[in-house]
Amino acid sequence: MGTLTRAIRNVSRRKARTLLVVIALGFSMAIMISIPPGIVANQESTQDLTENYNNMLSSMQEEINKTATLIECSTSSGQGMPSGAPSGDPQGIPPFGSQQAAVFVNETVVDEIRSIAGVKDIVGFLEESSNETTSETISSPRGDFTVSRPIYTITGVSLNSYFIDNYSILPTEITSGRNLQEADSGVVLASSNLTSYLGVGVDGQVEIYGESFTVVGIFEPTSQGRFETRIVCMSITDAQRVTGNAGNVSRLDVYAESASDVDGIADVIEATYTDLYVTTYKDRLENLERMQEMYTETLNNAQSTIAQTQSTATQVIIVAVAATSLIVLFVMLYTVRERTKEIGTLKAIGFSNWNVMSQFMLEGIIISLIAGVVGIAIGSVAAPTLTSLLLPRISMFGTQRSFPGSVNPGTTLSQAVTTALDPQWMLLAFGIAVSLGALGSLYPAWRASRTSPMEALKYE
Amino acid sequence: MSELLLKTEELGKAFKMGGRTIRALSEVNLQIRKGDFISIMGPSGSGKTTLLNMLGCLDKPTKGKVVLDGKDITKVSEKNLYKIRRHKVGFVFQTFNLMPYLNAIENVELPMEGTKKSRDEKKQRARELLKLVGLSEREDHRPHRLSAGEQQRVAIARALANNPSIVLADEPTGNLDVKTKYEVIRLLGKLNTDQGTTIIMVTHDSQIAAHAGRMLFLSDGRLLAKEKQGTHLAKDALKCPNCGRETQPEDAFCPRCGKKL
Repeated sequence: MGTLTRAIRNVSRRKARTLLVVIALGFSMAIMISIPPGIVANQESTQDLTENYNNMLSSMQEEINKTATLIECSTSSGQGMPSGAPSGDPQGIPPFGSQQAAVFVNETVVDEIRSIAGVKDIVGFLEESSNETTSETISSPRGDFTVSRPIYTITGVSLNSYFIDNYSILPTEITSGRNLQEADSGVVLASSNLTSYLGVGVDGQVEIYGESFTVVGIFEPTSQGRFETRIVCMSITDAQRVTGNAGNVSRLDVYAESASDVDGIADVIEATYTDLYVTTYKDRLENLERMQEMYTETLNNAQSTIAQTQSTATQVIIVAVAATSLIVLFVMLYTVRERTKEIGTLKAIGFSNWNVMSQFMLEGIIISLIAGVVGIAIGSVAAPTLTSLLLPRISMFGTQRSFPGSVNPGTTLSQAVTTALDPQWMLLAFGIAVSLGALGSLYPAWRASRTSPMEALKYE
Repeated sequence: MSELLLKTEELGKAFKMGGRTIRALSEVNLQIRKGDFISIMGPSGSGKTTLLNMLGCLDKPTKGKVVLDGKDITKVSEKNLYKIRRHKVGFVFQTFNLMPYLNAIENVELPMEGTKKSRDEKKQRARELLKLVGLSEREDHRPHRLSAGEQQRVAIARALANNPSIVLADEPTGNLDVKTKYEVIRLLGKLNTDQGTTIIMVTHDSQIAAHAGRMLFLSDGRLLAKEKQGTHLAKDALKCPNCGRETQPEDAFCPRCGKKL
């Protein structure tokens, strides 16, 4: 009959005590294995997000730098937003296929602007949304709302090989098929979200404004705003024909000979054509700076939320660990008190202080081992619930935004945790739980070993 | 005359209580020889258990010394006293003090923990002892399934586990009914006569005490000069040294003259 067997017998003999300590330690352990991985997951998410923002901003900066001589002239003030959607999204370089182009100017304007001193080239576009719309429900932390948006937006492009080669007038992210070429007619380049929506592929037929077109290529749309717009690109001639806007354009890209000419040309266009909204390199840079500021603020808020979460998590863990240690301590102290006479007897029949101490320590450790296993079980099952109960919910960005390649910024801590539980954390928490049990038993066991056998034997 | 096993010299124990010094034991001089069966009697508070605790290394005297097997055990450090308790002394308690979560044989094995005996040797020894106390058939029974007398017999077997020099029994029959207490005292007597076990027993019960070879009387912490051969106690009534009135061993004062005995 060794110390271990006696310790096991005592643990199983005092079921209520064992259960109390096991539950306390188990929950403490569950907290330990649930919260830190959640924090780590969110930190990683924030880091990814920061990287994605930075990459996006720098690529936008590059684009803006490349287009230092570009003056954009649009017949509408807002771009990139579908009708009915809340405004306030950042403005940058307009994507292919702006969805609002109700006002048109005649192509004669193109020649007039070309004659302004310092203008090198001018490319006209026609952008028009489909007549048919779809109702879509958007989920956000502020609630769901329904919006109506066009099924597709046509972008008519001048398919001139000089323009195609020298200016960024066509989508670049072709995922299948080919891009549009000079003299293409009766064919379209469609965004992947449109082909998915319509259920067509390359060489498939799509009906645009009642006319059938062949899909020659599919491209990946860049997105800004809440939606990825469904875009169909075609020659401007086809676009003007199907939309009934022969001779009209809705957007003009004016290229200056040099960057120093841009302001002068922009002033002349603004003064002459009051219906056109003019955007230059400076405006785009200002927009980018505004975006940067907004993103920086958003990231700071996210980081501050993470820091707050970390601090809360640390507090929760400290409280859990302290409470558990105290529970183990008091339960073991009570046990020592309850078994005073037994301790006196053991010492009277020849047990050394160490024999007595090791028995009580061993009991604490056995209970902790059981609690460790229970804790892993509770932690594995209840981690998401525990974290959502104990930690503030992380909603880092107010509304969900989708940036290319980014993690979903609306990821909540509880969602992160479900995938973050790992054996290393479990092992660590298991070790901590056993240490807590040993630590909580240390003083009571020491006290037991120091008990005077004579006094202990008198104890009733 | 057999070898001297234990002696006390001017043994005293005093402690302070509420600013007053209480003398629990004073100038106790005692000599126990190997094979003795001694009972110590005295009224409550006379210092019987205190004396037994000193002899069994459970407590330290404030004065005098206790020599066991030629060694002054009062000089042994607190840390090392367990070795003497383990190897030289066997305790039998009034309330048996068996471990409720262990069966009879495991209880008997308990004092052998920490000794060099192998597991099998411990088990073998425990079996022998249970056989000696007549409980071979009950070795797997836990205390709650044993009668009070059986529990005390297990406790006696446990006391003998490490073949101690001396067995100290503190009121071993105090919790037993009339029939059982005679069984237990006869067992102690048998161990003394057959095995040569040296036994010191503290008791209130004069009839039980009479089974011992020698009876000592403690009163107010002092060992009285009167010492009787236990087996003759019934015939030899004790007389008050002052008035000559016959007294009982448990009397602390003379019932006639009130003189302290």
